[in-house]
Amino acid sequence: MKRLSQKPLSVVILCLSLLMCVGSLTFLGACVHEDGSVGTCHWAAVACSALGGLCALYSLLALLIINKDLSAGLTLAVIPTSILSALLPGHLMPLCLMSSMRCQSLMKPSMVLLGFAIAILAAVQAYLLLTVRKGSR
Amino acid sequence: MRDLVFRNLRGRPGKTGALVLLVTFLSLTLCGGGLVLSSLRAGLNSLENRLGADVIVMPSKAALKTDLDTLFLQGTIGPYYMNMSTVNKIGRTEGIGRMTTQVFLSSMRASCCSIPIQVIGFDPETDFTVQSWLAQSRQGTLKDGELLVGTKVNVNVGESIKLYNVSCPVAGRLAPTGTGLDTAVYCNLNTIRSLMAAAGALGGYSYINGDPAETISAVYIKAADGVNVDDIVNSINIHVRKVQAVRTRSMVTGVADSLGGVSRTVTVLMVVIWLLIWVILLVAFALLAGERKREFAALRVCGMSRARLSGLVFAEAFCVSAAGAVLGILLSLVLVRSFSSLIEGALGLPFLLPSSGTVAALATVSMLVCLLAGPIASAVSARKLSRVDTGLILREG
Repeated sequence: MKRLSQKPLSVVILCLSLLMCVGSLTFLGACVHEDGSVGTCHWAAVACSALGGLCALYSLLALLIINKDLSAGLTLAVIPTSILSALLPGHLMPLCLMSSMRCQSLMKPSMVLLGFAIAILAAVQAYLLLTVRKGSR
Repeated sequence: MRDLVFRNLRGRPGKTGALVLLVTFLSLTLCGGGLVLSSLRAGLNSLENRLGADVIVMPSKAALKTDLDTLFLQGTIGPYYMNMSTVNKIGRTEGIGRMTTQVFLSSMRASCCSIPIQVIGFDPETDFTVQSWLAQSRQGTLKDGELLVGTKVNVNVGESIKLYNVSCPVAGRLAPTGTGLDTAVYCNLNTIRSLMAAAGALGGYSYINGDPAETISAVYIKAADGVNVDDIVNSINIHVRKVQAVRTRSMVTGVADSLGGVSRTVTVLMVVIWLLIWVILLVAFALLAGERKREFAALRVCGMSRARLSGLVFAEAFCVSAAGAVLGILLSLVLVRSFSSLIEGALGLPFLLPSSGTVAALATVSMLVCLLAGPIASAVSARKLSRVDTGLILREG
């Protein structure tokens, strides 16, 4: 409980990462075509889910580990991972050609917002961890 | 004084954060709701401007199957066709100023097509609906085989789209309309007829009967000056068989009615949420001020005047409101901009983001209202605090 109160942003990062991990394959994910086939947008969603899972793992470890240096390092590792997940749909992996499709109208903006929100929160949390460590010396 | 304000706010990060979050919701509701309403109005204006024609004539089968109010939200009327001889009969109607034809074709989700999309073929020589819109984004005539894409089709100019195994280069991108027309591609009649022939050869378009060159989907009519549009509509519906003439004004009115309903709902929700959050803010400021009675009493003992004490409370509320307002405005801009396609799909109404001037005006109004809301909510607490008996509070311990 004490750890939770010391690293409140890690809890938020963990929740957002889990949302990205689960959401990209469910309610925020790409649609399945009428004939049951899937496009590249489906694989972009799977990649986002994997990266979201990785962010969740990093933030969980950062939350549990007492050593502040290690915790800050793990939190810093979340930043490039979450930015990568934000850039994947539509930028690094192609989506459907119509902006009105679910992958373009829901999945892409959701992943961009979640990815950058996680990156900003992780940067703030890492800064707090590093400055608190310096201050305590 | 300024230093004390920031120290007070930094000293209670949890409570400051909670207050900033409340004002963020206030700002988000105001700016976000305003943006949605402005976008809906901009979409309706765009729809009115794009229609151009007074009357649309389509096969009666299409009129039966298609909800006419949403014709332009869907883009086209679907796979229904009529013969050119019908067009000649329509052309004999008195009072017609200008008349043009369009042909609609849908591509398939199959290997022969890059994308399932509506293709709209127009006649450049007689057209008065599409080309006025094209002139805003592209100069010059459209060559045979070339396509223009709506703003929601994510294909760049210079790239090609494959339709029924025919590769068509994209010559330009159209300005956004906030309607289904944004999800279509446009070409001249020669191009669409070659695409129809290709579709027929692939067996993918069984609706096309006869010669594609003699097939059209809809006729657009502009009434001559001084002619009653209803007379043209009635004349066509009485004298020409198997077609249905519709006044475009009635279609816009239908969309406007739906928009009115949605606008009212959004406005009521905005007001209710706003009042609710403002009351919570009022209570929060009162509770926080109650908690800080001893702190304020100590400041009074140190020589701070009542006016400066009230000023301190106001300044704290102002800083909290400013931070929350900026956050809320930024959040609403990002959310509405990012999810505009989703909102358009969910509401089923034309949705076009307003001009940057309108957005700036909305943001300014939201900022001002939120900057006032926080200090007003804290005014009651500030008044109470400035009148407390300092000695009594300190003695109470």
